[in-house]
Amino acid sequence: MKGNVIKYEQDNIDTDVILPGTYLKIHDYAELATHAMEGLDPDFHSKVKEGDFIVAGRNFGCGSSREHAPIALTRSGIKAVLALSFARIFYRNAVDGAFLLPIEIDEDAYKDISNGDELEINIDTNEINNHTKNKKYQMKPFSEIIGKIIAAGGLFKFKP
Amino acid sequence: MSKTLFEKIWNSHLVLEEENGPSLLYIDRHLIHEVTSPQAFEGLRLNNRKVRRPDLTIATEDHNVPTRNRSLPIVDQVSSIQIKTLEKNCKDFGIQLFGINNPNQGIVHVIGPQLGITLPGSTIVCGDSHTSTQGAFGALAFGIGTSEVEHVLATQTIWMEKLKPFEIRVEGERKNPFAVTAKDIILSIIRRIGTAGGTGTVIEYRGEIISELSMEQRMTICNMSIEAGARAGLIAPDEKTFEYLRGKKYTPKNYEELVDEWRENLKTDSNAKFDKSFTLDAKNLAPQVSWGTNPAMVSDVTEKIPFPEEFAKDLGQQKGVEKALQYMDLKPGIPITDICIDRVFIGSCTNARLEDLIAASKVVKGKKVSSKVRAMVVPGSQMVKKQAEDLGIDKIFIDANFEWRESGCSMCLGMNPDILGPGERCASTSNRNFEGRQGVGGRTHLVSPVMAAAAAIKGHFVDVREMDLN
Repeated sequence: MKGNVIKYEQDNIDTDVILPGTYLKIHDYAELATHAMEGLDPDFHSKVKEGDFIVAGRNFGCGSSREHAPIALTRSGIKAVLALSFARIFYRNAVDGAFLLPIEIDEDAYKDISNGDELEINIDTNEINNHTKNKKYQMKPFSEIIGKIIAAGGLFKFKP
Repeated sequence: MSKTLFEKIWNSHLVLEEENGPSLLYIDRHLIHEVTSPQAFEGLRLNNRKVRRPDLTIATEDHNVPTRNRSLPIVDQVSSIQIKTLEKNCKDFGIQLFGINNPNQGIVHVIGPQLGITLPGSTIVCGDSHTSTQGAFGALAFGIGTSEVEHVLATQTIWMEKLKPFEIRVEGERKNPFAVTAKDIILSIIRRIGTAGGTGTVIEYRGEIISELSMEQRMTICNMSIEAGARAGLIAPDEKTFEYLRGKKYTPKNYEELVDEWRENLKTDSNAKFDKSFTLDAKNLAPQVSWGTNPAMVSDVTEKIPFPEEFAKDLGQQKGVEKALQYMDLKPGIPITDICIDRVFIGSCTNARLEDLIAASKVVKGKKVSSKVRAMVVPGSQMVKKQAEDLGIDKIFIDANFEWRESGCSMCLGMNPDILGPGERCASTSNRNFEGRQGVGGRTHLVSPVMAAAAAIKGHFVDVREMDLN
């Protein structure tokens, strides 16, 4: 999995800025995607490319249980969010619907990765390669159940 | 072996458990609403699945419903479609719906307990993070996403990673419990443990102050557990809990037998171990006001807006405070009581139950809303609205120039027409002060109902302990 970084150097990026409540009425996923990150970065939709990664601080996705948040990011092209930590409902939503990968990174990686960097993520080896900076980081491995749901391709395909 | 209340409920609902692996948990009650359910029903249809237990599934319409005259059609076509979709889904799959014109309609977490759907010792899920509210009854209640809603509809079970029990004790006698409320207790807890302080846990609230609280106040506390990152909040049931649920619409026929069993079993054993513990001393607690853009950015009403440098130990937090103050258009060092407001919202699943409205009405009685402020009361359910009207509380608010509305989530999340304009500043009894939560560019200050009522009258924040009350 290879892509470029859109970095938001802040903690507590909540579901209300990832997808503002007024858009929860929208049923069409493609339309939902046009409003992703609108509360934080109105230019997001114009700059995001297929395969990009978001890098952010602690407690990413805190707040509402709206699955519209990971859906809007995924439909925008985001394949993974790399954060210092995640709020748990967002984390599970991201994995359950096989929308995007929520990847926990450490402080060193967080500080080192810059906006626009090209990363390659390998979830089998838990390695993140920063091709721009020619560096390697370790991601926190997924727990057993999360790893299994990801491998199965979502909650409904998962068998213990 | 000694167990916490959480572990007892968890264990009694396990369908399957693998060592270090996932647990399959049985769900006793599934509450659904119009916003997080449509894709789930679509998934069922696509895969030709049925709802496994329609009798354990209950629906209402709360998130996007208008709170003005309900005899008129819904103007917003997209909202109207979402509501009609839920009505069709409930009809097709045989699910009881408390729709927009039903006397039992209301915010899902308010009607659950009012109808006796919420029971001690049970597992309850809903596609809404504030499902934690119902933990006040000693139920394991938590929010889920739409994929999980579909999974519960299809199987009545859910795959979970085991949560960790987190003990929060609230001790020390509160001075002036009328002014220093349950909302102030929970805001003060979140301020201290942070927005991720409870991540991966179920918080059990304990201690003398928690026991003293009424059921409605306990719901306010459990409601905001998610704002501290916890999946659920929990309070062991006691005689107040059993009394609250007695004789409700769905209270089971063998209720007294159940109560005997709950009284015996639904408590944390004396030697049980928690993964974490925190104690809040409520002795010197003051009314709380949030000044930032997350629910941990909170001060006593007697304090001043903090300087970002006060958070210098943590660079991320310092930057967060700078950004929050910029969004909120607040200068460090000014007293909280100097902050003038444009709007007041008394509502939401946090603080729109009957006791909340009674308390706020005591502050408002015989006074008028400041000419600079637009204030509204949105009861948590149509039942709360009727109970308040039977007590004449609506008149107190209306006489003071508050708007008195129909029930729903309303301005808590800005999905219906009740929103803040850009730059408008609101004293709100809701649960989230995130950027844009109540409308694009809107500025939210989280407070208790009595603090919101006092701010409505004065036009700025005021220490409600100093108000002259009738």
